[in-house]
Amino acid sequence: MSFIARRFLHTLFVMWAIATLIFLMFRLMPGDPSTAYIDPNFTGEQRQLVLQQFGLDKPLSEQYLIFLGNLARGEFGLSFRYRQPVLGLVLSVLPNTLLLTMTALFAAYAFGGVFGALLAWKRGSAFETAAIPVVLTTRATPDFWLGMLLLAVFAFGLGWLPSGGANVAGASYSSEWSRIFSGDFLRHLALPVLTLAIFLQGLPTLLMRSNMLEVMREEFVTMARMKGLSERSIMLRHAARNALLPLVTAFAITFGQLIGNNVVVETVFSWPGLGRMLVDAVANSDYPLAQGAFLVIAFVLVLMNFVADLVYGLLDPRVAHAHG
Amino acid sequence: MSALISVEDFAVAYRLGETSMQAVDGVDFSLPQGVMLGLVGESGCGKSTLARALMGVLPGNARITRGKVRLGGEDLTALLPAQRRQRLWRDISFVPQSAMNALDPVYRLRDQMREVLCRRGGLARRDADERAAELFTAVGLDPARLMDFPHQFSGGMRQRAAIAMALALRPKLVIADEPVTALDVIVQRQVLDTIRGLSRELGLSAIVVTHDISVVAYLCSMVAVMYAGQIVEFGPTDTVMREPAHPYTMGLMNASPDLERADAELVPIDGSPPSLMQPPAGCRFAARCPFAQQRCSQARPPMTEIAPGYRAACLRSGEAATLRGEAKEAATWRR
Amino acid sequence: MVEPIAIPLTAGEGGSRKPRKLAALLAQLRDPYALTGVTIYLGFLIVAICADALAPYGPTDILFTDDGQLAASLPPSAAHLLGTTNLGRDVFSQLVLGSRPSLFVGLTAAIAVAALGTIAGLVSGYLGGLADRVLMRIADVILGLPFLPFVIVTIALTGPSLTHIVLAVALLLWPNAARVIRSQVLTLSQRQFVEAARVTGASPWRIIFVHIAPNVLPLSFLYGTIAVGWAILTQASVSFLGFGDTDVISWGTMLQDAYASQALDRGQYAWFVPPGLCIVLVVLAGFFISRGYEELLFPKLRDDR
Repeated sequence: MSFIARRFLHTLFVMWAIATLIFLMFRLMPGDPSTAYIDPNFTGEQRQLVLQQFGLDKPLSEQYLIFLGNLARGEFGLSFRYRQPVLGLVLSVLPNTLLLTMTALFAAYAFGGVFGALLAWKRGSAFETAAIPVVLTTRATPDFWLGMLLLAVFAFGLGWLPSGGANVAGASYSSEWSRIFSGDFLRHLALPVLTLAIFLQGLPTLLMRSNMLEVMREEFVTMARMKGLSERSIMLRHAARNALLPLVTAFAITFGQLIGNNVVVETVFSWPGLGRMLVDAVANSDYPLAQGAFLVIAFVLVLMNFVADLVYGLLDPRVAHAHG
Repeated sequence: MSALISVEDFAVAYRLGETSMQAVDGVDFSLPQGVMLGLVGESGCGKSTLARALMGVLPGNARITRGKVRLGGEDLTALLPAQRRQRLWRDISFVPQSAMNALDPVYRLRDQMREVLCRRGGLARRDADERAAELFTAVGLDPARLMDFPHQFSGGMRQRAAIAMALALRPKLVIADEPVTALDVIVQRQVLDTIRGLSRELGLSAIVVTHDISVVAYLCSMVAVMYAGQIVEFGPTDTVMREPAHPYTMGLMNASPDLERADAELVPIDGSPPSLMQPPAGCRFAARCPFAQQRCSQARPPMTEIAPGYRAACLRSGEAATLRGEAKEAATWRR
Repeated sequence: MVEPIAIPLTAGEGGSRKPRKLAALLAQLRDPYALTGVTIYLGFLIVAICADALAPYGPTDILFTDDGQLAASLPPSAAHLLGTTNLGRDVFSQLVLGSRPSLFVGLTAAIAVAALGTIAGLVSGYLGGLADRVLMRIADVILGLPFLPFVIVTIALTGPSLTHIVLAVALLLWPNAARVIRSQVLTLSQRQFVEAARVTGASPWRIIFVHIAPNVLPLSFLYGTIAVGWAILTQASVSFLGFGDTDVISWGTMLQDAYASQALDRGQYAWFVPPGLCIVLVVLAGFFISRGYEELLFPKLRDDR
């Protein structure tokens, strides 16, 4: 139990530190500190509202505490551009980003796990020697450029798939669920997911391969051979099972990182997600929205790191049963 | 008496880059049923390689270069890999040095026992669980511990579990590679007692590889002394230890601390074993042997029978009685 | 002040350290990965240096055809190896000259990351105590920051110059290097030659820089190579998003330009494929080098066949 508690406290600490960092960065901007929260075009009431919420007329140290309090309640202020509370805006696009990330990651890791195990099994073969540079190349490819290529070929060139957005413009759905499961949404999801999956599979492939190679050197694999178990049985039940553990952790961590780094892919495909919202907000100097989007992204990342620790603790019996 | 296992001119080599190293170079011996053989020698003499080669599971760069291994009359070396695999664990099983890494950390012991008993032994789950409980009890473990993971066991308990697993399919022969070396002294004794008890109860046939002569003395009725990839002495443990016929064995006996002769001087053997990449032509011990003569370096001394079932590879084995006396003097070994 | 006596160093750490390591570095070029990686790096380096000579036009020169028309969106030809942009600029020239900002960013970021990471790792690992705790906490926080969003927010607040990008990338990447170097230092600190140095009265700084640092340099080098790829990718991404330095034509800005000008729709592959390929090659070269030198840097990783 103390392991989880310690990691949780650590997570809170990091979240607090990041929030403080952002607070300082936005406050250190030249000009009146209130420009971070109040747009010249706000109505009188809006101006008053934000002034109150964030205590902008109070000394900096008090503002900081109010800021932290607001953060805990999800209060990020009003968007300059949309004149709406930031949290609502962020939450409205969060599902799109989560779906994109989840689907792409699952595809990448499912493929990578299998392919990596295969490469380890076929160690030294011509297939493996040729495959490795190819996998490295996919890792070296900028994801947005890959997206551009796929767009050019499949959307514009062949016209098979739509060229942007998450849904056809003007379409309306009875609920979020029906929107997500509509064929329209899935067709729009295809290219971005394919782009990300190609880009992402390099890590799980290489990781699985190197884990497998390490595990195959372990004494218990030799023992499994001595027991006369079939090679296939050894590969699957012993080698792969042990080699998978780090992949699960990597999955969780990559998920956290992707939420933010998806920015470019979301831009290429005009995908209405959190990353794109951040970019637009920054481009438009919509500071509250930019802050809010950034902080949500950061929090998801830190949270996923914590989840990674938890999951590893659960899956590895050595950690789970640490206290007998 | 028909032999349980007989090994003829057996050799194993490791390929290291361009060169190769003969880890085992021409080993002959045979064992009847119900006998525990100790395979003793210093590090690098090839005993572990021999043990694993008898199992037939070697690292990728190792090869059996010649020889035959007959188990219960069947030539194992002539079998196809698939057939060989069938014999594994059913006819011949293995107890590893350190069960720490030898047990898969993510599976409970019960599942690992099931894997052996069901997949290789053809038992149904319930029968397998019963048998696993039996085996655990036989090695002195509480059957309830079957539900635990390997890391929850202490070192001694893990070794016992490994022994239980090795005995699961009632093999003809068990090979144990340094079964107690990784344990501390008190636990060592406990595990050795367990093994001794089992061997008496089951009439176990085993080859126990170790560098520790006291383990051999405790467990084994026969002993084979290995040096530089070859067996230099073979015979009943009592005889070999009290009246060794090979100078190397004589040196080994001197070099081992003996609680009864606590103030006797420990006399190490000067020098180190020859390189196995370019082994010398004649007797491999000649360079360090205080009794070496010209002829010793010319050709490999054959195994000479000193008494029935007792052999030594030394040209001067006839004079063993005299040499033994000299070997007891520390001065003989200091040159 | 007692001068430490000459300490017998273990093999490979002798006085003739430098020539031996250089020879080893060159010898490793037999490995196909190392050779390919180094060749690619050298190739781009040469292109970047001779860019002015290689590029037929300036990157922002607007060109006209012989009959006075704007040379817009022309297909590849002898005069324009990769065709022209929709505003009449020569793509090939942009590509060649675009190598400079990319390589500049890559190299400076690599040096910054290697330097920061190494110093932090050395101090943290050897001195321990408060310095270690503080540095590692800072590292934890930095590792909790989303990479690209943080760079974007920083650029937005400080301005889009290449130097700012390099600094942001260096700030985000040094913790990875520092952590690994720190644990290497911890292992090394327990080795005998460090004990010997300590016992003969060498000051901590001397121990760190003369005895430990050289053994940690392979790791610094490794993380430096990794940083090159990341920095170039980040700079390209940031430029693509429109936050780059608009005065400087880089591969990233070329891609942004192509995207914004509907080059995808028009199938102008010659415009947006080459800059991407260049990025792929440079990043790939970094991977190849770290792979090719893995054996030299970390001999334990050698396979046993």
